[in-house]
Amino acid sequence: MKALLIDTIRCTGCRSCQVACKEWNELPAEETSFFGGPGYQNPKDLSKNTWNLITFNEVKLNGRLKWIFGKKQCMHCLEPGCVSACPVGALEKTADGPVIYHKNICIGCRYCMLACPFQIPRFDFDSPNPYITKCRLCHDRQEMGEIPACAKACPTGAITFGEREDMVREAQRRIAENPDKYHHKVYGLEEAGGTCVLHISSVPFEEIGYITDIPNEPVCANVKPAMKAIPAVMLGAALILGASYKFRNRTRDEEPAAHG
Amino acid sequence: MSTEVKGRFGFGSFILFVLTVLGIVLALYRFATGIGSVANLNQGYPWGFWIGFDILAGIALAGGGFVIAAVVHIFGSEKYHALVRPAILTAFLGYLMFITGLLVDIGRPWMIWSMMINWQHESPMFEVGWCVMLYTTVLLFEFLPVVFEKYKMAGALKIWMNIMPLVAIVMLVFFAWLLSRSTQWTVVIAAVLVIFELAIRGGVLKRDPRVPTLLIMAGIIFSTLHQSSLGSLFLMVPHKLSMIWFSPILPVLFFISAVMAGMAMLIVESTLSSKFFRRGLELNILQGIGKGLSWVILIYLAVRVVDLAYRRVGSELLATSPQAVAFWIEIVIGLLIPLALLLTPQGVASGRGLFWAAIFVVIGLVVNRINVAVTGISGGSYPTYYPHWMEVAISVGIVSLGILAFLLICRNFPIFEKEHSHAASA
Ligand code: SF4
Ligand code: SF4
Repeated sequence: MKALLIDTIRCTGCRSCQVACKEWNELPAEETSFFGGPGYQNPKDLSKNTWNLITFNEVKLNGRLKWIFGKKQCMHCLEPGCVSACPVGALEKTADGPVIYHKNICIGCRYCMLACPFQIPRFDFDSPNPYITKCRLCHDRQEMGEIPACAKACPTGAITFGEREDMVREAQRRIAENPDKYHHKVYGLEEAGGTCVLHISSVPFEEIGYITDIPNEPVCANVKPAMKAIPAVMLGAALILGASYKFRNRTRDEEPAAHG
Repeated sequence: MSTEVKGRFGFGSFILFVLTVLGIVLALYRFATGIGSVANLNQGYPWGFWIGFDILAGIALAGGGFVIAAVVHIFGSEKYHALVRPAILTAFLGYLMFITGLLVDIGRPWMIWSMMINWQHESPMFEVGWCVMLYTTVLLFEFLPVVFEKYKMAGALKIWMNIMPLVAIVMLVFFAWLLSRSTQWTVVIAAVLVIFELAIRGGVLKRDPRVPTLLIMAGIIFSTLHQSSLGSLFLMVPHKLSMIWFSPILPVLFFISAVMAGMAMLIVESTLSSKFFRRGLELNILQGIGKGLSWVILIYLAVRVVDLAYRRVGSELLATSPQAVAFWIEIVIGLLIPLALLLTPQGVASGRGLFWAAIFVVIGLVVNRINVAVTGISGGSYPTYYPHWMEVAISVGIVSLGILAFLLICRNFPIFEKEHSHAASA
C-alpha cells in the first residue's frame, strides 16, 4: 500500500504541486476572487477543478506570526467512508492505495460527501449532469510506474511518496530527530482508521485548519453490525409473523371481512 | 363490499393543482440547470430538505400501510379491516411520491438503475434502494385486488391468490441473498418461508381467503428493514451528526417512530377523507388506533430517554443552541403533547383530540427526520444550510400531486367500505 507523506515544515507555499495536479488531470484554472481570510491562498477551497489545494494559515509561533502551509486533498483512507457509503460502487479502494471514482455509474446521491470525515468529495451543483470530483492519488500515473504528479513537482521535498509503512517510519523518525520543531503527531496515522496521506507539522493540526475531531475507528464501524443484522432480522420477522398468524387464526374464523 | 365514493373537487383541489404545476415547473428548471439553481445545498451540506422531508419523513409517514396490514392480516384484528385499502393506497402513492422526490434530489437520476447491477451490499443506501423498490412492487401487488374487483376479473384474482405467495418467496429469498451473500442465511430463510406456504397449502394452517399471507409478510419484512435502514444511513456519520441524535440504535429508533408515525397518519387520513368524501367517521376504530398509538409513543419515549442517558447526553440538551431547541420541539410537540391528548378521555371521545394528537405526532416526526438529516449535521466551515423556497415548493408540489391522485383513485375505485356496514357495527 502506497502513501504520501506531507511535511508542512518543508513546504514553502510555492504551489508547484497544485499546478502539477491541474496539469496532469487536465483541470482548467479557476476564476478566482478576493475572499476574506487567509490572504495569499488561492483558490478558496477544493472544487471540481481543484483537487489539491495548498492552504495558507497565519499561525503565532514563538511569539511571531508565521505562514504555515497545509495541503488539502483526498486522504485515501484505508477504510474509506465514501466507499462504504456509495450504493453503486462508483468509489473504489484499490489494492495499491488510491481511492478512485468510476464516474459513469455514479447516481449523484452525494452520500459519499456526507460520509467523508475529511469533507473532500466535491459535487457539481451547477451542472445538469453532475459528477463527484476528488484527488485519485494519480492512480493512472502509478499504473505506469510513475509517482503522483504533486510529489514529483515538489521542489523542497515536502511531499514524499512510497510504501505506507516506510512513510510512517519516516514521519516518526523526523519527529523523533527534531522533537522541538515538530508537533508530536502524525496526522492520518489513526484518523478514521488510518489514511494513505500522512501529514506532519510544527503546530497542532487544528491551528492550520485540519479537521481534528475525527474518531480513530473507521467510518463504517457502526454501520457494519447494522448491515450484518439484516438476515437475522428477516429470519426473526418471518418466524414471529408466522407464529402470530397461526396463534391469531381462531379470531379470524369468527368474523372474516368480505375482501382483502 | 367496498365502493367508490363521491367527493367534490372544489377550491382546495384547485389549490393543490396549482401547487402541483408550480412544483413541476421548478423541477423542470432544476433538471435543465442543475441542483444549485433551486437548492441551497453546498459542499459542506450535501443533503438537505429533500432528504429530510421527502425521503426520511415521507417514508416513515407511509408506514401506516404495513402497520395496518400486520394488525389486520397477521394479528387478526378484523375491527380495523376498513382501513386496510385506504392505507395500502396511501402507502403506494406515498412511495411513488418518495421515488419522485429522490429522482429530483439525486444528481444523475437516469442512472438509478445502476443500483440494480452494481451490488454494494455493505452500503445502507443500497439496502434502502432495493428494499424500497421491492416494497413498492409488493404494494402494487397488494393493491391489485381493487382493480380486479372494479373490473370484475374473478379469474385474475384467483391466479393472483395462487401466484403471489411464490412471488413473495422469490423476492424475500433473493433479497436475503443480495444483502447477506451467505448461502446459509439464504437457505434458512428460504426454508422457513417455503414451509409456511406448504403448511397453508396443505391445510395445516388456515388460509386467509382474501389475501396471500406471504405477500403481507413480505411487505412487513421489507418495511421493517428499510424503515430501520434509513436510520442506519446516519450511522455513517458519527463525525458529523450531533450527539443528540447520533446513536448506535438509530435504526431501532427509526423503526419504532415509523410505526408511530404510520399509526398517526392512519388517524389523520381517515379523519380528513371522511370530511372530504362526507362519510361518517369510524370513531371507535380510530379510538382503537389512538390507544395503540399512545403505547407506541410511550415505548419510543422510553427508548429515547434510556438511549440519551446511556450515552450521557445531558448538557447538550440544555444549551441554547438551535439543535437543542429543535430537539425539544421534537419531544414536546411530537411526543408529550400528543401523549397528554391521548390520555385525556374527553379529547379522545370527541375525535378532535385524537385528530390533533395525530397531527402533532406527524409534525414531531417530520421535525425529527429533518433534525437527523439537516439540523444535527455539522458542515464544518461551510455556510449553514437553510432550505431555499424552491426546494420546499418542489416537495410541496410532489405531495399535492399525491393527494390529488389519492382523491381521484378513491372516486373511481372501490377503496372505502360501504357506509351502512359501519352504521351497523358502530
Ligand atoms: S478522504 Fe474522504 S474521499 Fe478521500 S478516501 Fe477518505 S473518505 Fe473517501
Ligand atoms: S454521489 Fe456517486 S460516488 Fe458518491 S455515493 Fe452517490 S453514487 Fe457513489
